[in-house]
Order: sequence, then structure tokens, then C-alpha cells
Amino acid sequence: MKNLICHSLAVTVLAAGVSLNVLADPPPGQVDFGKLAMPGNGGEFVEIQVNSNLLSLAARLVEKQQPDAAKLLRGVQLVRVNVVGLTDENRDELTKHVRQIRHDLDAQGWERNVNVQQKDGEDVGVYTKTRGGEALAGLVITVIEPKDEVVLVNIVGDIKPEQVAALGEDLNIKPLEKIGEALKK
Amino acid sequence: MNPTPVPSVVRPPAKRIWLRCILAVLLLLSVVIAVEVVSCLHLSSDTRALRNSLIKSSGVEWRQRIALHAGGLVLSTVRAGLSFVNLDAGARAALQSVRGAEVGVYQLPVGAKPPDRAVLLAAADAAMTARGWDRVVGVMDGSDLVTVYLPGEIASARRMKCCLMVFDGQEMVVVSARADLEPLFKYALAQPAIGNKVWSLVCR
Repeated sequence: MKNLICHSLAVTVLAAGVSLNVLADPPPGQVDFGKLAMPGNGGEFVEIQVNSNLLSLAARLVEKQQPDAAKLLRGVQLVRVNVVGLTDENRDELTKHVRQIRHDLDAQGWERNVNVQQKDGEDVGVYTKTRGGEALAGLVITVIEPKDEVVLVNIVGDIKPEQVAALGEDLNIKPLEKIGEALKK
Repeated sequence: MNPTPVPSVVRPPAKRIWLRCILAVLLLLSVVIAVEVVSCLHLSSDTRALRNSLIKSSGVEWRQRIALHAGGLVLSTVRAGLSFVNLDAGARAALQSVRGAEVGVYQLPVGAKPPDRAVLLAAADAAMTARGWDRVVGVMDGSDLVTVYLPGEIASARRMKCCLMVFDGQEMVVVSARADLEPLFKYALAQPAIGNKVWSLVCR
């Protein structure tokens, strides 16, 4: 009887530990952007976060009419978009923050696919994390427009680049087609 | 000695039974209508929680301009009535989707300083997260604040709920809706170049 109780306790503790471990680790493609300095009065701040619940729902709704879109949506776990307006008060801090995010991504083994610096100062970086060499576990897009705003996008899931390109073609969305083609390369 | 005759059972006439049934139905209908009318003036607990968190965090006394709730009975009646009207396909899809809606409009007193939008956002987030809602959209631009909340657990597209708050520096509008999203999605997906339209909206 004593042995049975001990064994049951041990199994319970082990199971709890495994569950906690699973809960504690975010997916590999997810990036914590940290605390973004809110703009002062009148500044722009946009935060969009769509998780797998809503994405699965959307996939079920579009399945019959757009099976490719449904397949892509099922592979996505999280979409997060942050846009913060730059003012004289927060410009330096936010720019530094975004550069730190990029530095951390490089350190964590993310692949830098695109790095563009325009004449007007616009700075765009696209980072990807692959899963098994065929699919993307995560995609991060960082944009710094020094006079305007900072944009951060994180898409997490099991995304195949050819699905993105095919979806762009099906829905006739040229930018999406181009992103898919760029990711394939 | 003659046996005492057994009194025969007196049945009420059929007409009286029918009358009683009709009266019972009318009484039930009156109760239902009365409940529906009373509920029209009350917001649901989630919407009230959102509103109360915003009002409390602002530290100001707001003036209620309107608080209305349209439940299943009211919307079914509206749908039935509008079925005889020639409506745009999109409007009809929207009408078929909505299962319940409520709106509250509140105004700051004249001359009152508008509350800090970040404080309002934090208070709304805390109140709604405690009730199992997730913020999907949060936008601050100029003096405007817009937030959209969806339930953390979404069981089905047929019973979708949503809470939305808009503040423009002077007036706050809190809206909550229940909907069956399928008719709306079917309509949206049937539109030509819907993909490009959505992409343009996202990238605007």
C-alpha cells in the first residue's frame, strides 16, 4: 500500500513536471519583443495579436472555398504585429530596442534573409527560423522608419514557403506571392 | 329502497379548455416580451465589466447617453421584418450573422481632462483577461483608443462573441456582439479579389 502511494505520487509529480515544462517553453519561432515604449499623448500605437484559436476558426470557415488558405492558416500558431509611432521622446530608445532585438535574433541562430537600408533612412530586416530545413518555425520582420514609426511582425507556426506563394497566387495578392518566392530562396 | 344515484362527472365544455390555453399562451408571451423589453436596457456582465473598468480607471464621472441590448427575440423580429425588404447582399449577410448586440455610449463631463489612454488600455486589459477574454487589437492614434477583445476559448464560429471599445477623447462607446460568422464569411469569400482588398486594408 505504501509502495503504491509512493509510486502514484512519483508518477503525478513527473506528469506535472512534464506538463509545466511543455507550458513553460514558447514555440521556437516565437519572439518576445519586450516592453515597447508607448508614445506620448497623440502618438500612434498598434498591437494586433491573433492566436491559434482564431486562426483555426478562420481555417474551418474558409476550408471549402479556399483549401490552400485553410492549410496555411492551420500551420500558423500566432501572428503578432506591433506598430509604434516615433516621437522625439521615444525615437532613440525604440531604435535601440529594435537593433537589440535584431542582435538577439542573430545570436539565437535566426537567418537574416533581407536587410535593406533605404536612402530616406528606412531600415528593413526579415529573419526566419527554419524547422527541419523545409518549413519555417518563425518569421520576424522589423522596420524602422526614423521619421515615422517602428514596425515589428512575428509569425509563428509550421509554414511552408511554397504555401505562402501559392496562397498569394490563388488570392491574387502580389506582395504575398513575392514574399513566398523570396522565402523559397 | 332506491340506490343513491352516483353524480356524473361534469366536464367543462371544450370551449373553456381552449380559452384557458389561449390565455396561458398570452400570459407567457407577455412575460417573455416584458423580460425582453427590460433586458433591452441592461448590458451583459462582460460589457459592464469593460465599461466599469474604464470608468473607474479614468477617475472621472461619465454621463451615460445610451445603453441598449438587442437579444435574440428582437433581432429575429427585425430579420423577419426585413426579409420582405430588398437589402444589399452584404447587409443581409451581416443581419443573418448577428445573434445579439449591445451598445453603451458614455460622455466625459464638459471641460474634463481626457484620461490617459495607456491607463485606460491597461485597466480594460486587466478586467477582460480576468473574465477569460484576450485582446486581439489595440490601437492608439491621436486622442483615439480602440480595443477589440475575443474570448480566449472559441468553441465554434456559430457562437462567436466580441467586445469592442472606442474612445475619441470625449466619448466612449462600448459594443458587444454575438454572431454566427458563417453567413458573413460565405459572403466575404464570394467577393471578387477579396484577398487584395483585405491585404490593402492590412497594409494601409
